[in-house]
Amino acid sequence: MTYDRFVELLENEIQIAALAFMATLYAVKVWRLMQLNPVTDRTPDRGDPDAGARYSLMLVAMPWELASYRSHPIKYAEFVAFHLAIAAAILSTFLIPYAPGLLAIPAVKALLMLLIAAGLVSGVSRLLKRLASPALRAVSTVDDYFSILLLDAYYVLALLAIPDAATHRGSIAVFFGLTAFFLCYVPFSKICHYLLWPFARYYIGKHFGKRGVYPKKAGSARPGRAMAA
Amino acid sequence: MTTVFAAEPMPLEEKIAKFHELFETKINRNFCLSNGACVHCGLCIESCHYYMATKDPKTTPVYKTDAIRRIYKSRHDWLSRVVPFWTGAARVRTREDLDRLRDIAWGSCTMCRRCTINCPMGIDTALLIRSLRAILYAIGEAPEGVVQVCKDQYEIGNQMGVSDEDYIETIEWLSEEHATDVGDPRAKILLDKKGANVMYVVNPREVKYAPLTLLAAAKIMYAAGEDWTMPRSGWDNTNFGLFAGDDKLGAKMGRALYEKAQQLGVKKVVVSECGHGFRATRWEAPNWAKMDLGFPIESFLETMAAYVRDGRIRLNPACNGVAVTYHDPCNLGRSSGLTEEPRYVLQHCVTNFVEMYPNRADNWCCSGGGGAMSMSEYTGRRLEAAKIKADQLRETGAQIVVTACHNCIDALGDLIKRYKLGMKTATVGELVAKALVLPERPEAAVPVQKPLEKAPGVPVKVLVADDDADTRVFLSAICEDNGAVAVTARNGNEALELARSEKPDIITLDIDMPGKHGGEVYECLKKEDALKNIPVCIVTGQPKLRGLIYDLEVPHPEGYVDKPITEETILLNLRLILNLRQ
Ligand code: SF4
Ligand code: SF4
Repeated sequence: MTYDRFVELLENEIQIAALAFMATLYAVKVWRLMQLNPVTDRTPDRGDPDAGARYSLMLVAMPWELASYRSHPIKYAEFVAFHLAIAAAILSTFLIPYAPGLLAIPAVKALLMLLIAAGLVSGVSRLLKRLASPALRAVSTVDDYFSILLLDAYYVLALLAIPDAATHRGSIAVFFGLTAFFLCYVPFSKICHYLLWPFARYYIGKHFGKRGVYPKKAGSARPGRAMAA
Repeated sequence: MTTVFAAEPMPLEEKIAKFHELFETKINRNFCLSNGACVHCGLCIESCHYYMATKDPKTTPVYKTDAIRRIYKSRHDWLSRVVPFWTGAARVRTREDLDRLRDIAWGSCTMCRRCTINCPMGIDTALLIRSLRAILYAIGEAPEGVVQVCKDQYEIGNQMGVSDEDYIETIEWLSEEHATDVGDPRAKILLDKKGANVMYVVNPREVKYAPLTLLAAAKIMYAAGEDWTMPRSGWDNTNFGLFAGDDKLGAKMGRALYEKAQQLGVKKVVVSECGHGFRATRWEAPNWAKMDLGFPIESFLETMAAYVRDGRIRLNPACNGVAVTYHDPCNLGRSSGLTEEPRYVLQHCVTNFVEMYPNRADNWCCSGGGGAMSMSEYTGRRLEAAKIKADQLRETGAQIVVTACHNCIDALGDLIKRYKLGMKTATVGELVAKALVLPERPEAAVPVQKPLEKAPGVPVKVLVADDDADTRVFLSAICEDNGAVAVTARNGNEALELARSEKPDIITLDIDMPGKHGGEVYECLKKEDALKNIPVCIVTGQPKLRGLIYDLEVPHPEGYVDKPITEETILLNLRLILNLRQ
C-alpha cells in the first residue's frame, strides 16, 4: 500500500469506522440509561419544570449564574476555549478530506488554528492547575490525566496538520491516527461526559424548576462585586 | 459504638455483601447520571463549607461523592471493569472502607446541595449522599443519634418521643396561654377540628422546647381570623426518613400526616417554620408514601405572606427596630424555592432589614443540616465548618438573625456562641407576632397566670444549679417573683447534695459546671430512686454539650432552654413541666 493510499484510508474508511463504533457505543449508553427509572415528584408544581430545564441547559452560557464561575471567571474562559478547540479540531478532520478548499482560505485556516491554539493553552493550564491543586489531585484518576494529555496532544497535532491540508502529507497521518484512537477511546473515558451532560442538566433542571428554584431568583450575589463561591 | 435499630448486627463479610446488594437497588436514572457525568473539574470544591473552613482535600463535594462513584464504576463502567486502576474504581472490602464511607456520609456533608446548584454538570451530591446513608443505615452503620430519632419516629410517631398525653396536655396548656396572650378568652388552639381551613403541623421542638414559636403562630392566625386546627396525631412535620435515607420511615411519617388531613377534611396543610419538615412534607413524602394528595401543602411563610398581602394582618415594624438579617434554610431556599416570601414578610415587620450575601439559593448552610444536630460525635467538625456561616453573619452587623427553621435556629445558636457573635436568633413568625397590631379585644375576663405553687399557698421549690452567679440570681428572682422558693447550687456536687437534702419540685440544671458536670449530675439524679422523679429543665449556654445529657441511657429531661434566657421562656417551660395552667 502506498503512503497516499494509507492516508486516504485513515482520512476516510478508518474515520468512518471509528465514528460508527463511537456512535454505536453512545447509542448503547443512552439506551441503558433510558432503561432506568427517572426520579419524579408526585406533588403539584411550585414553579415551571420546563422553564427550569431550559434554564438548566442554558447555564452553560450563563456563567454569572454559577457562584463557582462568578468567582473564577478565568476557569470559564478556559472551559470555553478548551471546548471550542475540540469543535474546531473535529471540524478539521472533516474539512481536510472533504473540503480542503475551505482550509485554503487564509481567514478560515487562521480562525481554526487560533481556536485550537487557545484550547491548547487552556488545556495545558488546566493540567497544571490539576497538578498544583491538592483538592484536585485528591480526586484525579489516570483517566483524568490521560484524557487531558490526549486532548492537548490532539490540539498540537491539529495545529501541525491544518497547514498540511492541501498536501495530505506531513503530520496528517499521525493526526488522523490519533483521531481514530480518540473516537474509539472516548466512549470509555470521562470525555464522553458531553453525552450525559444534556440528560443530567435536563433532569436537575426539571427537578429545580418544579420546585421554583430554577430559574434562580435575582439578588443572591452581592451587587456589583464578585462573591465568594 | 454502633447501635443498630434498622438492622441486626451482622459479621463484616455479610455487611459488605449486603452493602453491595443494596447499592444496586439505589440505581435509577438520576443516580446513574450523578455518578457518570462528573468530570472532576473541581468547580464544586469552593461551594462546600466543610472545605472552605478546613481546606482539607478530603472534604470537597467531589471527593466525598467519588467514594460512591468508585463503587458504582466498579460494576457499571465498561473501562473500570477491565482496568479499575484507570478510573479509581474500587469495591468496599474492609472495615476501614466502611468507616471511611460512614465518616463521609454522616460526618462531612449536611446534604445542603450548595455544590449541586454550582456544578456545571448537574451532579446531585445530596442524592448520592442520601443513597449512601440509606445503605449504611440499613446495615447498621448509622450514628446513634440518628438511629434514636428514627426509632422515636417509628415507635412514638414524632422525633422527640413526645407521648400523646404530653402533646395534648401541652397544646391545651398553650391554648390557655394563647388566650392570655391575645387577651381574648375565646381564642383557642383547637385539636382535630373537622373541615377547618388549615391543619397546622409543627416540629416537635416547638411542643417540647420552643412553645413560644407555636404561640406566635397561634397569635398570627388569630389576628388573621384563620379557621385552623392542629391534629391529635400526625402532627410532626419533620421526617428523619429524609436524612437517614429510610424511605419506609419517610412514607410512614408522611402517611400519618396526610391521612389525618384527609380524615379531618381540611382545606390545606400548613407546615410550621421547619426547613426539612417542609421539604419532606411538601415534596418527598408523597413520593415515598406513593400518595397523590387532594389538598395543597404550604409553608407558614407562604401563609404569613398571604396574610400581609391580603391585609388580613396589620403589622407595626417599629416593634422590631434593630438590624435584622435572614438566613435561607437550605431545604427552603435551595430545595423548595421559598426565598421571597420571608423577605416580603420581614420587610413589613422590621425597620432595618440587612441582606446577607450570598443568599437565597446560594446561601451557605447553617452547618447543622442533614440531621447533623443529632450526631454529637461530629459536633467539633460541624462547628469548625460553621466558620463560613459565622463570617457571613458577622459581616451583616445585624443583631438578630431570623430564619424559618428550628434546626437552623439551634445550629445558628451554637455557632453564634462558638464564634462570639453576640447575635440573637428568631423565627419569622416570632418577629411577625411581635409586630402584630391585634384586632379590637372583646371585653371579657382574661385568665391570669397561676403562681408557681403546688397548691394554694404552697410554693414550688426550685433548685437552680448553675456556676454563673448572674444566672443563679436571675433565675431564682424570676421563680420567687412568681411565688416559688428557690435554692441555688454553684456546682454539680452541691446540686446533688441539695437535691438529696431539699427534695425540690423541679431542678434547672446547667451543663458546663465545675465538679460534676451537668451530664453526670443528671445521670445520678435519674439513677437514684429518691430523685429520679424530680423533673429537670436543662438551661445551658453550650448546646454542643447536649450529647452529655441526651446520649445518656436514661430518660430525657423534661425541658431544655438555651441561654440567654428570657423570663418569658423560663416561666413557660417551668409551667409546662409542672403542668401549671391558668
Ligand atoms: S463541579 Fe460537578 S462535575 Fe465538577 S467535580 Fe464537582 S461534581 Fe464533578
Ligand atoms: S451538599 Fe453541602 S455539605 Fe454536602 S458536599 Fe455539597 S456543599 Fe458540602
